[in-house]
Amino acid sequence: MVHLKKILLACNAGMSTSLLVQKMQAEVKAQGLDVEVAAYPLNQALDHIEGADILMLGPQIKYAKDDAVAAAGDVPVTVIDMADYGRMNAKKVLADAMAIIG
Amino acid sequence: MADTTTGAEEPKKGQAFLDKFAEVSAKIGNQVHLRSLRDAFATICPLYILAGVAVLINNVVFPLFLSGDALTAAKTWGSSLTQGTLNIAALVLCALIGYCLGKNKRFDNAIGCAVMSISALVIMMPQTVDAVVSTDPDGKQTANVINCLISTNTGTNGLFGGILIGLLATTIFIKISSVKQLRVNLGEGVPPAVSDSFNTLIPMILSLSIFGVVAACLQVFLGTNLIDLIKVWIQTPLMGLNTSLAGVLIIYTLANLLFCLGIHQSTISGVLAEPLLTILITDNMATFAAGGTIPVDHYMNMQIINTFALIGGSGCTLMLLLDTFLFSKSKTSKTVGKLAIAPGIFNINEPVIYGYPIVFNLPLMVPFVLLPDLFIAATYGLTCAGLIAPCVVMVPWTTPVFISGFLATAGDFRAVIWQVLEVAIGMAVYLPFMKVSEKVAAKEATFDEKSEDAPAIDAA
Repeated sequence: MVHLKKILLACNAGMSTSLLVQKMQAEVKAQGLDVEVAAYPLNQALDHIEGADILMLGPQIKYAKDDAVAAAGDVPVTVIDMADYGRMNAKKVLADAMAIIG
Repeated sequence: MADTTTGAEEPKKGQAFLDKFAEVSAKIGNQVHLRSLRDAFATICPLYILAGVAVLINNVVFPLFLSGDALTAAKTWGSSLTQGTLNIAALVLCALIGYCLGKNKRFDNAIGCAVMSISALVIMMPQTVDAVVSTDPDGKQTANVINCLISTNTGTNGLFGGILIGLLATTIFIKISSVKQLRVNLGEGVPPAVSDSFNTLIPMILSLSIFGVVAACLQVFLGTNLIDLIKVWIQTPLMGLNTSLAGVLIIYTLANLLFCLGIHQSTISGVLAEPLLTILITDNMATFAAGGTIPVDHYMNMQIINTFALIGGSGCTLMLLLDTFLFSKSKTSKTVGKLAIAPGIFNINEPVIYGYPIVFNLPLMVPFVLLPDLFIAATYGLTCAGLIAPCVVMVPWTTPVFISGFLATAGDFRAVIWQVLEVAIGMAVYLPFMKVSEKVAAKEATFDEKSEDAPAIDAA
């Protein structure tokens, strides 16, 4: 059975990332991938880190990357590109994530 | 530091300064006690919003169609909600601070920190309090009573004590828990859970005993208590500084500048100003609910920022979007605008900040930083001049403009008129900067046009 991949997104309050998640989910569906995408405020995201394959931070909290890396264990942590984030370029963000988690 | 698609070129020296500024701010915002404070406030927020609804309905809606005894009876609904939210705010926040600090420090017993914190807070409260025993209109009678917690200490008025004691109690608890000599090992055969329970028990007993000794000393030798001391020596001076007009302007100027560098403004404002400003608005809610007058030093509060200086999000970018739809010739800007307007109505503007973009876009950074300052100062001035009512209700920061002004001032139409003026002023201020930004951008490479999937634009 194929392992269901899980992408976690985190930002300040989980508001703007939730918008991106919505578009990424549509993209996942369109591409027929077996991937789950979810968004949380950063402190909650770390509670959901178990079972996640990647944690992507919004650019507005990139300062928290070091802490997130320390807390995330083996899960890779990346910061979403500012322009992709601003233009809600779900396709590109998803592609970036898939490139890392395969 | 950041790959940016904007055309503005900063001189090297300026760039180095901005990098340093961003780095220092991130350090402040990431500081564990301050971060825990922010997390705790975010968690308690629903209670404050509920209190706001109760205050509004009790004092604005019910009086429209009720009077006399019926009004008094109906108001019991709201006052019981006030009792369960504002009047215990310090207790709840204190527990949350303990929990969040424990969690953020990756301590394995965060809930124990919460329990510790509440207990420590109540230990520090005076054992006899002056309570009002009569609401006789000829004059309030007070009596010295025992066995009672008073909302002056458990409620919004005691928030500062709750915050500091929560931080202190948790820090002491974690420190004592980490002392190896105090760890109990009951040997083989005893279930580990039994040893663990002792390992919580001993540090908790020790730390709370310390608080008990301090409380007793303060009471016996000085006739006072820690909560009063915190009010006089910390809360009052800090409030005076950070919630003065100048203090708020400085903090929000820095905070919004930080957002122009791509880092969320709450990194600064969320720790230096928001907790204090939130205390003021909750205090106002409690005062308004009790039918009192709002003191002048409470005119500056969280709602002035969220309602009048964050229209469309940080930097009042809603006006930039309106300018874009009406006056922009840039196809790219319009595409971003369509994407950003729906969240923008609810004051969420990361699409504008990163997509338009504002980040590292020098022409737009100017109004982004200065416009909120202008609105904070003007709204404060209008409140002091009595031209709009002081804010007495905490409404969620995602409440759209015009509705937010009406609700925050408990139904003052002049506040809505002021918000209409603000939108007009904001559009006028943003327009020339938008034009300059477009000229700069025109010289740069154009964005890729992948934004076909932009959400349908709501009728705005």
